[in-house]
Order: sequence, then C-alpha cells, then structure tokens
Amino acid sequence: MQWKPDWGLRGRMILTMFLLFAVYLAFIGALWSANYATFLPLMGVFVFVQFFFSDRLALYSMGASTVEPQEYPQLHRMIERLSQQADLPKPAVAVADSDVPNAFATGRSQKNSTVAVTTGLLRTLDADELEGVIAHELAHVKNRDVMVMTIASFLSTVAFMIVRMGFWFGGGRSRQGGSFIVALLASLAVWIISFLLIRALSRYREFAADRGAALITGDPGALASALRSIDGRIDKVPQRDLREQAEMNAFFIIPITSGFLGRLFRTHPPTDRRISRLNDLAVELERA
Amino acid sequence: MGILDGLRAALGLGAEADALRAADADALFGMGTAYLTMDADLGYSPADSAALCFSGVDSTDFSAVLDDVRAILDAGARTTGTEFSVETDAHGWRWVIVRDEDPEDLLTSIHFAADEFIANGYGSRLLVAVFGFASSGRRAYWVYSFRRGGYYPFIPTGTDSRDVRGEQKLAAVLDGELDVEPDREYWYPLWPDRPGSHPWERG
Repeated sequence: MQWKPDWGLRGRMILTMFLLFAVYLAFIGALWSANYATFLPLMGVFVFVQFFFSDRLALYSMGASTVEPQEYPQLHRMIERLSQQADLPKPAVAVADSDVPNAFATGRSQKNSTVAVTTGLLRTLDADELEGVIAHELAHVKNRDVMVMTIASFLSTVAFMIVRMGFWFGGGRSRQGGSFIVALLASLAVWIISFLLIRALSRYREFAADRGAALITGDPGALASALRSIDGRIDKVPQRDLREQAEMNAFFIIPITSGFLGRLFRTHPPTDRRISRLNDLAVELERA
Repeated sequence: MGILDGLRAALGLGAEADALRAADADALFGMGTAYLTMDADLGYSPADSAALCFSGVDSTDFSAVLDDVRAILDAGARTTGTEFSVETDAHGWRWVIVRDEDPEDLLTSIHFAADEFIANGYGSRLLVAVFGFASSGRRAYWVYSFRRGGYYPFIPTGTDSRDVRGEQKLAAVLDGELDVEPDREYWYPLWPDRPGSHPWERG
C-alpha cells in the first residue's frame, strides 16, 4: 500500500498558521502599546472555561444526548471497532433527534471526546457510508481539532470582544482617547483577517480528517458516497432546522449554510472537491 | 503530550500517522508460555481456536495479499493439520480463523498470517489476534492489539456485558508473562451479535 503525504495541504496549513501567528503578534504589540494588554489574561480564563465545557455546550446546543450500548448496539460497536483501528479510547456516543443527516465530534482531548450523529444520518446512510462518516469524526478527535481550533481562534475572539465593546461604549467615555481608537482599529483589522485565516485553516483540517478517515476505514469511496448523499439531502429539510443549527456548522461534517461571501467564509471545503480528493485517494490505494 | 505530538496536532496529521503506523507484533509470542500458566494457575484450557481480525482495503492488491495468506495457511494445514477459514462478521470486519488442538500451532499460524500482511505493507490493517480459553463452560479471551503491541483479557458474559473482575484477575496473574495493555481504556470489547456467534466460535 503506497500512501503519499499531501505536502500541498501541509504547506497551506503551515502558511495559514504562520500568517495567523504573525497577525496575532502584531495584535499583542498593538494592545501593549495602547495599554490594553491586561485584557488578555482575563480573556484567557474566559476562553479556557469555554474550552473546558465545549463538549457539553456543543451537545446541548445540538439537542444531542449520550446513548448507552443497549439503546444503539450497532452504532456503539461500529464506533468501538473504528476507535480501535484509529488507536483511540472509545469516545462517548451521542444521538440527536433531527432529520438533518449530520455528525460531529467534540471534546477537549482524545480521552474526553464525544461522537454525535443525528437520527437522520442513521436513516440516510448504509453501514459502509456511516463508517466513513464516523471515521472522519474520529480523525477530528485524533487530530485534536477542537483544541487546535480553540487555540488558533483565541486572539481572534479577544479582538471580536474588543470590537463589540467598542461599538457598545463608543469612544466617548474613554479616558485615553487615542489609545482606545488604536486598540479598536487594531482589533477590527485582526478580527477580519484572522476570521478568514481561521476559516481557511478549518477547511484544510476537513481535508486532513477526510484523509485520516480514508486510512482508518480503507475505503475512501464509502465516505465519498456518504458526502454525496448527505449533501443532496440538505436542501430538502425544513428551513427551521437549518437556522437552529447554523452556529454549530464548524463542527459538522457538512456545513449547511452557503454564506454570501462564498468560499472565503466557508468552514468546510465544497463537497465536490472533497469527493474528488477522496476518489484520488481510492486510486492511490489501488496503485500498489 | 510531546513536541512531536504537538506538531502532529498542529498539522492535523495524527489520524493519518497513526492509521499508517506499522503493526507491533513483537509481544505476540508471549502467548507461547501464557497457555501453560492459564492452564496450571487458573484452570483455563485452550479453546482450540484462535483468530486474526483485520479491516480490509478496497483494492486489488489487498485481495492478492489475502490470497497469499490463504496459500500460507494451506501449506500449514498440510504439515500441522491446522484448519483455517476466512470470514466476514456482521460489522464487515474480516477474520482469519484457525483451529487446532495444539496451542503452539495456533500461535504459529496466527503469526505466519500476520507476518504476511505486515511483509506486504498492510500491517496497519491488522486489528487484533484473539486466543480463546475455556473453563467449566466459561469462555475467556486474550486479545492481542497490533495497534498497541499488548495483550488484554476479555471475558464476555453476554452480548453487551463483561466480567470486569475476572478480567482484572487474568491481567494480574499473567502480567509479566504477557505484555498487558496498561491503559484499561484500550481494552476494547469484541461483542458477538448473538451469544456464541463470534466468527471464531462457528462450526
């Protein structure tokens, strides 16, 4: 079995993280010079708490609850085998009662993770396709995506908070006048740039998780076929569900909104591109 | 988390790297003497069968390797009389099942089969080897994880329950003789769909 590392993907990921790092360094410098750096530890605590509860928050906002092996024996066994293949402790299993076929993984560490699926997903996919989707979620856990994305977006969150407070309080009440404007403008710029970079990073990590899933199941075609059938269903479900789930998009296997600024704003790559890359992987596995 | 792990995490390579990691078959041979201890100290006799579980790859090359494994086991069947079969379970995982009254022959067959996968670059597809034992109607298994290079005990008491205390006792007694997986989170159960329906229990 020959398996070529995707150097292009790695390169793009490194470049994105490097740019993000540069933007953040400049941001810290700007906050420092404007005497707003005391803000950072405070925000750090806030984001850490959020990170600590991210799994419960995600499950709660999705209406997903953990299920016992007795309730979903097949699903549990499938996840057991796949985690053994992926060399992960078995994650908790959660199911959300929703017609939108989707799946997501959450949890702050490999030992503290949950894989959730919707009842719509269980109805839509056959066993091989479901394995592909679950392997994709396990690959997210394996790649520590929740932690990486939390760290990558920490200063972006700080910038966003400052921008929002700036709009609330305006410059009027500020004691320092000029330095407040500096902090506000720097935050606005950092927020916009880092937002786009984080979205790009998120898309690259989807490709990485697809590659991981293909290797875990040994069947990239099944995941491709799952993506095809999930994507096809999405516009057929009631609009209300779409909006309810919009915030959770970042963790889903396929995002539901298309976004008006098009590709730049997407957390996930276009499904067509993912399918064509998975087909390339199937060819690669075939080439001994 | 080490520096290498951190780097892997940052680049999203963890899943790929671990899925490609070669099989660790070094500690498999511990079973050669563990059979004796199981019998002498715990009253568990060999159940005359063992199995190798692997997940297939959707490719022609993999099918060719599977044919090679069959040829090797065929040769083994002629010299030692070890019977074998290749099956697919209800979850789509593949099993090589070997049957013989001599536990040494079982271990050798499992080793040869595993080696063939590893030699052809499919070691990462090997999941576990399972060695069965029986004691007054009760079944116990030692499961060797090729992913982690260690053994763990598994005593199913139904289709979704296991005898945790019994397993702990097996682990305590055999520790040292076998490389026992220290992290119990990795003692994955291998439940049958129905009692007695494990692929290696058929026929």
